[in-house]
Formats: sequence, structure tokens, C-alpha cells
Amino acid sequence: MSEFQRFLAKRLAISIVLTLVAVSVIFVVLRLLPGSPFESLVTAGNLSQQQITEIRAMYGLDQPMWRQYLSYLQSILLFQFGYSILRSQPVWGVLAPRLVNTLILLVPALVTTAVLSSLLGMYVGWNRGSKLEKLSIITTTFLRSTPVFITGILFVIVFAYNLELVPAFGMRSISASPEGYVETFASLDFLHHYILPFTVSVLYYSGDFLLLARNGVVEKRGSEFLKLHRAKGLSEMQQLARAGRNSMLPILTYFALRLGMIFQGLILLEVVFGWPGIGRELVLAIQQQDYPLVQAAVFIMALAVIVANLVADVLYAYFDPTVSTSGGGAA
Amino acid sequence: MSLLDITDLTVTYSTDSGTVHAVNDVSFSIDEGVNYGLAGESGSGKSTLAEAVLGLLPSNGSVESGSIEFQGRDLTGLSERERRDVLWEDIAYIPQSAMDSLDPVMSTGAQIRQAIQTHRNVTDDKARSRVRELFEIVGLDPDRIDDYPHEFSGGMRQRVTIAMALALEPDLIIADEPTTGLDVIVQDKIIDKILEIQDRMDSSLLLITHEIGVIAETCDELSILYGGKAMEQGSVDNVLVNPTNPYTMGLKNSFPEIEEGDQDPVSIPGSPPNLSEAPGACVFKDRCPFATEECEASHPDLVDLPNRNHRSACHHVTKAAQMRRDATDPETWGIPDSHDESDRGEVLLETDGLEKYYEQSQSLLEQLRGNDPNYVRAVDGVSLRVRRSEILGIAGESGCGKSTLGETIALLKQPTGGEFVFDGEPYEHYVDGNMREFRRKVQIIFQDPFDSLNPRQTVRQLVGEPLTIHDYRTDERERAIIETLEKVGLTPARKFLDQYPHQLSGGQRQRVAVAKALVLDPDFLICDEPASMLDVSLKVNLLNLLRELADTEDIGIVYISHDLASLVQVSDRLAIMYLGRVIEEGDVESIAAEPKHPYTTSLLAAAPEKDPTVDRDRVLLDGEPPNPVDLPSGCVFAPRCPKAEDACRENEPGLDTVRDGEHRAACYFPDGEIPADDPADDRSGSAYGNPEFSSPASGDSASD
Ligand SMILES: Nc1ncnc2c1ncn2[C@@H]1O[C@H](COP(=O)(O)OP(=O)(O)OP(=O)(O)O)[C@@H](O)[C@H]1O
Ligand code: SF4
Ligand code: SF4
Ligand SMILES: [Mg+2]
Repeated sequence: MSEFQRFLAKRLAISIVLTLVAVSVIFVVLRLLPGSPFESLVTAGNLSQQQITEIRAMYGLDQPMWRQYLSYLQSILLFQFGYSILRSQPVWGVLAPRLVNTLILLVPALVTTAVLSSLLGMYVGWNRGSKLEKLSIITTTFLRSTPVFITGILFVIVFAYNLELVPAFGMRSISASPEGYVETFASLDFLHHYILPFTVSVLYYSGDFLLLARNGVVEKRGSEFLKLHRAKGLSEMQQLARAGRNSMLPILTYFALRLGMIFQGLILLEVVFGWPGIGRELVLAIQQQDYPLVQAAVFIMALAVIVANLVADVLYAYFDPTVSTSGGGAA
Repeated sequence: MSLLDITDLTVTYSTDSGTVHAVNDVSFSIDEGVNYGLAGESGSGKSTLAEAVLGLLPSNGSVESGSIEFQGRDLTGLSERERRDVLWEDIAYIPQSAMDSLDPVMSTGAQIRQAIQTHRNVTDDKARSRVRELFEIVGLDPDRIDDYPHEFSGGMRQRVTIAMALALEPDLIIADEPTTGLDVIVQDKIIDKILEIQDRMDSSLLLITHEIGVIAETCDELSILYGGKAMEQGSVDNVLVNPTNPYTMGLKNSFPEIEEGDQDPVSIPGSPPNLSEAPGACVFKDRCPFATEECEASHPDLVDLPNRNHRSACHHVTKAAQMRRDATDPETWGIPDSHDESDRGEVLLETDGLEKYYEQSQSLLEQLRGNDPNYVRAVDGVSLRVRRSEILGIAGESGCGKSTLGETIALLKQPTGGEFVFDGEPYEHYVDGNMREFRRKVQIIFQDPFDSLNPRQTVRQLVGEPLTIHDYRTDERERAIIETLEKVGLTPARKFLDQYPHQLSGGQRQRVAVAKALVLDPDFLICDEPASMLDVSLKVNLLNLLRELADTEDIGIVYISHDLASLVQVSDRLAIMYLGRVIEEGDVESIAAEPKHPYTTSLLAAAPEKDPTVDRDRVLLDGEPPNPVDLPSGCVFAPRCPKAEDACRENEPGLDTVRDGEHRAACYFPDGEIPADDPADDRSGSAYGNPEFSSPASGDSASD
């Protein structure tokens, strides 16, 4: 197992370095942007020069760059994101609910699609050349390559405007004013709003999993060990299950990677469905040059991707029985 | 009533380029308790026949006509469900390539348990204890049933598949090349095991192999297949002692025999028949030296020879005795009698005390404590020399480090010590920016054709790839590819250009791998078991091809194999390896005739005998080689050596301990000699040896 530990240590170290790099890049890029968050306030005549200097000092913006960088590093790595400049409330207080909104939409969608499309992919891979195979590949590839807002708008037109089955916009009805997460999400009204964006994201993610699972099974289908399984008298379905198990690894790692990317939200989808997720929030924050908010959001997203990568690597090493023992014996 | 009755079986494959007639009108039957052999060249339809019996034909293969009756039931008419009940319960299968026949992500015990529980309603506990029992029977450690396939060596994996086949005590076991790709000693043990168990359970065995020797030793009856036709069948004693069919004669002659040493084995020139049409003429006519007009007209029927269990399909069967005499003469087959030994040229490759140690992984804690890591000494002080036009054979059982040695001299792995000179330039020269040149001049042909060919590339792309990489003959790419394919016997070359590896038989795949190496016209060729997947006749062709390349194109060749018979036949000099060291070295003739090291002697004795009337003493070396991390002190072979004495365990004998001209061996009590008085004295043998080749026996450190 020591090989595995060493591997783990290496991956961890890489992840930490990556995080530092990401955090620094965010810092530099934001400072390079022209203008400052206060400019709009100044032009609107709401603030005097005197007040601006005070505020700048309060936010530490009058300090030399390296000092700003250091204190930025210190606080962001401790998850102290500070105050949003424009909203005058803690950044975390702004971001947390948006992040939860995004996750509650995308995580179930991703899990659903990972399970369903992988199963379908394995099935069509096994029955290679069937009509179902072609149909499913064409459909999912189409869904994958069309920008998600087009599919989204299409669904809204058909199901919300024409059939009037579901609401077109938002997460809750305007009249609802829930308190806390439980009240927000545990309601029929929410479900009603949920179903459309959920379906669109399921479809959007389906293509990759389907292809991955199908290719895995196709590759395994002619293999010698399946022939032996067949000779043993296993039924078609049992053989398919073994082929599927043998192609699980790439699917699992891909799932972990995707899970990391979900923290970025699906910006276009959130816009089309008026879903108050983190992606939309980030766009707004960038427009308004709300540094602390942007920094925190980007940091969370980068961190999620890095952690997901780490998890994917570890999963791979852990689930592939041929990786975890030490190699390098004699010929 | 016989157990299995195959009548007029015809199997075809449909492919993009037409129908392949893989098995044509084959009939034979197997009685209860009988061992039946099926022999023939690559592509002769052996595996297809087995798969037809088992109902495992791929989706493009189908049984066109004929019947397969098992215990009176026609298997071809069974429904999928009924067939599943017959499989394993009545007919079990030992697949051709144990290396990739086990499910990589399922423990070996679980795979056997699955076979049991699919057919019998037993509890997990019962099934587990049955698996332990089976492991014991096949000679595996019962505590390892939860290990995964990759944790076992090739030979052990084959034992797992055998254990699986035995699980339900079937009436018939079909073994498709159960030992191909294993080294002689393991092969010998496995065959021994199969026979022992099968004897005890009283089941029948259908043994498919291209090693006539294995059939001669184990089977009662056999059929010889060629081009999907049964050419000759009957009792092993009749068919192999007095073959009446020219194909059998050719096949038997091409099986190299160690004693015959340097006599050229007579291979059958030419390549297997085109199977795109059902045979109209004798399938063998293109390669048969006795063919006449009659042979053009029709394929001969199998006819019974009077008064014995022996059938042959040849129009000239009455002239069998005469043909038999002619067949031993190479000229009959259009092969020039013997090649003149061209002078061996300048030294191309030289190593001195070459080492390749692998650091063993350590826990974090051990590393923190700063303990010295252990080393696996895969190659431990090997000194070699290969000249142009010379073939150096390297022999040894699996795990002795021969593949690592091959990869190290190909610079695919970095040596951890010792000297290396190729074409007058040292190792550093090549590492220092001249690797590309080295990679073109030195080609390596690997063991496993499945691993080394990308399944998604066509033959054209596979063979053409090196040309692109090295920008070599790019303007006449197609011609270079076709020339090379023809050189390796894939004719007509155009037919193969657009095929993918999985559409080729095992033998054809290996030849593609050889073509890939030859297409760059290299100076030096390293072959690592290139022929282990080939049947005899193709193997002889390949060996002859290598010999020819060495003689005419001045190529130096290192040929690594566990198959001493073919090594003896192809090489000029031999080096025998054991646990990373060369323990005997010398000219082929003198090693084959007078092996000095006891290990060499046992290797030589493990090769099967093709004449069924000769009884060979099986030499079953005890145990496996010791763990290369924890080597015994003194002679590393001592734990398994029948002649070991106390003196052997004290000091390690150097390669110069025994010396007879070029022939050297590392042993205090060599075979065929009076034991030396004081072994300790002999250890300083290198004093009178060639200083360039000083004893590599003591490996010191792993410093670079
Ligand atoms: N799936 C397939 N599709 C098309 N042709 C095939 C297929 N499998 C085998 N063949 C062809 O059928 C013929 C017989 O092949 P088979 O595998 O039975 O030979 P074999 O005697 O077992 O050879 P080897 O000793 O190399 O294993 C060969 O010409 C081969 O190319
Ligand atoms: S029938 Fe003719 S071609 Fe065929 S094996 Fe006999 S002699 Fe040769
Ligand atoms: S030195 Fe001794 S132990 Fe080693 S091979 Fe010779 S006789 Fe056997
Ligand atoms: Mg075969």
C-alpha cells in the first residue's frame, strides 16, 4: 500500500500547488482589469473624493501590491472572503445560497444522467450496430453540441408556453417567500419549477457518459475474458454486466471531474430559466467589478475542479486492482 | 457410443471481403476417456472448430452444415438456454491465452465460484471451499483465492483457468493451446497436471496445439488440420511414426529437435491457403512437393488405411513410403541444402557487467526512517557481445530477467550500472541526443502481439507508422510496406493492408509485429519471444527469416526465448540466464551437446519429444525460482539444484568457473565433468579468463 500512499502524497502536493497558482492568477487578472469598483459610484456623484480615500483605506486598497497579495492569500486560503463591495454583506452570505441552488439542480441531474446514460451506453455498445445505438448516439451528440440555452429555450417554448405544463422562469413562484433551505426546496411549487431545467441538464450531460460507456463495452466485447465468461454459461445480461464493470473506471473518473465543474454552474441555463445560481451571480459580479465576490466565486470553482481531479485520480488508483500494487518486478 | 461426434462440420466467417471457409467438412469422434489432439498451422481452423463445439463463434461466424453430437445430442440445434446448461457442466474450456482470459477486475476465486454457482445451487461457503480445493489440486496456494489475475504469473493464471475447467468435473475438456506462450518448464508442469487430473476424473480431453511434441506425449488419437480440412487422422502412434500425408511429414520435419542441433529443420515453404472459396483442389497443393494434376482436380477424400486406426487425405497415399523418404530431404521442398556460415562481422553490441536494478517500493515510514530500499536485481552483471551476422540466443524460464535484459539493451529501460557500447558509441552518446538514430537502427519485437499492436489501426497504418516517425522511405511508403509484408510471409500483401489486428489469426498478428520492426531496415534486432504464439511451421519460417536476415543483411540479432529447441536451431551462440545472471555461455553446438550447468541440463530435458514411441524422463524442477530480492548466498541455483553441496552455498561461482574454449559456465560441479576439488579456488577463475569478459558474478551496488 505504500505505493498508493506515495501516489496520494504526490497528488496532494500537486493539488496544493495548483490551488496557489489559481489563486494568484485570479488576483493578478482582477488587478489588471481597467477601472475600479468605485468608479461608477463616483461618476454618479454619490461619493466624494474624501470618502473614496477612506473606503480604499478600509479595504486595504492603498497598500502596496505585494502586501495586498499577501493579506489576500492569507484570508482566501482561510475561507475568509470578506465583504461584497456593492452589496455590503459578507461574500459568503451572498454566494452560499446561490451555490446551493446550483448544486441542488445539477448534482441530481448529473447523478441521474451518469446512471441512466451509462446503462444505456453499455446496452447499445453490447448490441452494436443496432438502430437504438445509432439513434442514441446521434441524439445525445446533438444535445451535447447544441448550446444549452437553445435546448432550454426550445423546452420552455414547448412545455411552458405551448403546453403550459410548467412555469417558465425562476425557482419559486413570485408569491412564495420561504425561509431557509428546507422550506425553499421541500415544496411542490419548487418541484414544479425544477422539472424543466433538471430535464435539460440531464439531456445536456448525457452524451459524454453514453459514449464513454458504449466505447468501453465495445472495446471489451471481443475480449478473451468475456469469451471465457460465455463458455462458463453466463447469460447475455451477466456477460454485459461484466463488460460494464470492466469499463466502469473511465466513467467513474469522468463523473468525478464533472462533479467538480458543476460548481461553476451552467451559466446559460441559469440565465434562460432564471435560476438564481452561482454562474449568474459570477457574471453580475464581474460586470460590477465586485472584487471580493469575484475572487471568492472563482476560488471556489477552481478549488472544486482541483479537488475533483484529485478525487478522480485517487478513485482510479483505488478501483483499478492493477494500479494499487507496486510494479517493476523482473521480466 | 462416443462422447463427441463431429460429422462433416463446415464453418464460415462472413467478412467485408467475402466469405472465409475456416473449417471444411471435418469429421472425427472422441470416445470417453480419450485424449484427442488437434494439430495444424496457424489459421488452419483449430480454434474455430473448438469454438463451434462450444457455441462460442463470434457473431460473423456460422456453422454452415454438419452436426456436432455430444452424448447423442446435436449441439448445433440447441437453444441459447439449453446450451448454457451444457457449457461447463458437461463441456469445459481452457482458453488459448491465459494472459487475458481472466476478468481483470474480479478476483480469481470469485471467477471460479461464479462458474460453480451458475450451474449448481450451492452456498457461498461451499463454493469457496471448493475453490480452495481446486487451487490445491492445480498446485496453487489456496490462500490466494482472493487475489486478482494480475497478481499471478502467466503460468499461474493458466493454472487458474485449469482449476476453473475442473470445477464441475465435466465429461469433456477442450483445451485450446493451454501452454502456448509459457516457458518449457512451466509448460511441462501444466501438461503433466492436466493429464494427472484428467486421469483421476476420467474425462475426455480435446487438446488443440501446434506443438506436435505435446500431442505425441499426451494424446491417444489426433487429427491434422490444414486449410480447414482434416488431412490425416488416427491413432497418434500411427500418424506420427508413419505419416502418410505430405503435410504431416512437413509438419513433423519442421518441429525442431535439440539433438539434431545444427541440421536445418525442413520447413514447409509458402503460406497457408486462401480460404475465400470452398476447396476445389487439394488445399495443400500449392506447397506440396508431390502435387500432380490429379491434385488440381479435387480435394482428396479421407480414406481408411487398411488394418489400422489411420486415415489420410491424399491422392498419392499409396506412395506414402517413398514420399516419407523424400520428405526428409530439404531439396524436396525446394530449400537449398544448407547455407554457408558467413563470417561473423565486427562487434556491434557489447555490454560489460550490465545491471538493471529496480528499487522496491517502501512505505512512507520506512522512507522517513531512511532505510535502504531493497532492489530487485532483474539484470545482474551481464556481459555480452553480439557481432554483425550473428544471432545470440538468450534462454531462461520466465522471470529470469531476459525480457528486462532485452529492454535494457534496447535502451527502453535505463541501465543502472555497467558498460554499454553499440556500434562503437557508448551509452552516453545515445542518451545525449542521438536516441532517434538508435531507435531506427535497433528494433525490438515483443512477446505479445495483442499488446504491441494498436487494435484501431490497419495493417497498412501499423507497418507504415515507423516510416512516418523516422521519415524513412516516405516517398515509396506503399512499396516499403508491401515489400516488408512479403518478407515476413504475409502474402498476398495487398489482401492484408486494410485489415485490423482482430481479423488476423494469432500467427498473422505476430508477423505484422515483425514487419513493423523490419520496415526500417535495422542493423540490430532484439526479439523477445517473437515466435511464442506461432505454430511450428510458421515458427520455422520466422527462424529461417531471421537467419537469412543475419546472413545476408549483416544484422546482429538477439533472440530471447524460453524455447530452447528453436534457440538451438537459430542461434550461433547461446547464453543461459538464471535470476538475472548468465550462468552458461558458448557456441550452440557445444551447449546442446554437452551442457555443463545443471540448470541448462534440466532446460534441455524439459523440451517435449515428437516421437510418441520414445519415453522421455520428465524433469520437473522443484519449485519456482527464489525471490530475486532475497537471493540465497552462494550459487543462486543451489535451492533447486540436484547436485548442490555445502560448498555451493558458500561462494557464488563465476561464469569462468568452468571453461572450455568459448564455452563457459558458472558451476562448481558441472555436468559431464569430474567435480573440481576445491570450489573456492575455482572462483578466481577469471584470472585466466578474458579480462574483457571478467566474471559478472558479484553485483555490488545500484549506483549509476
Ligand atoms: N472473427 C473472424 N472473422 C473473420 N475471419 C476469421 C475470424 N476468426 C478467424 N478467422 C479466420 O479463420 C481462419 C481460421 O482461424 P482459427 O483462429 O480457427 O485458426 P487457428 O488454427 O486456431 O490458428 P492459430 O494457431 O493461429 O490460433 C483464419 O484464416 C482466420 O483468419
Ligand atoms: S493430394 Fe496431392 S497436393 Fe494434396 S497432399 Fe496429396 S500429393 Fe500433395
Ligand atoms: S554450483 Fe553447485 S548448486 Fe550451483 S549449479 Fe553447480 S552444482 Fe548446482
Ligand atoms: Mg487458435
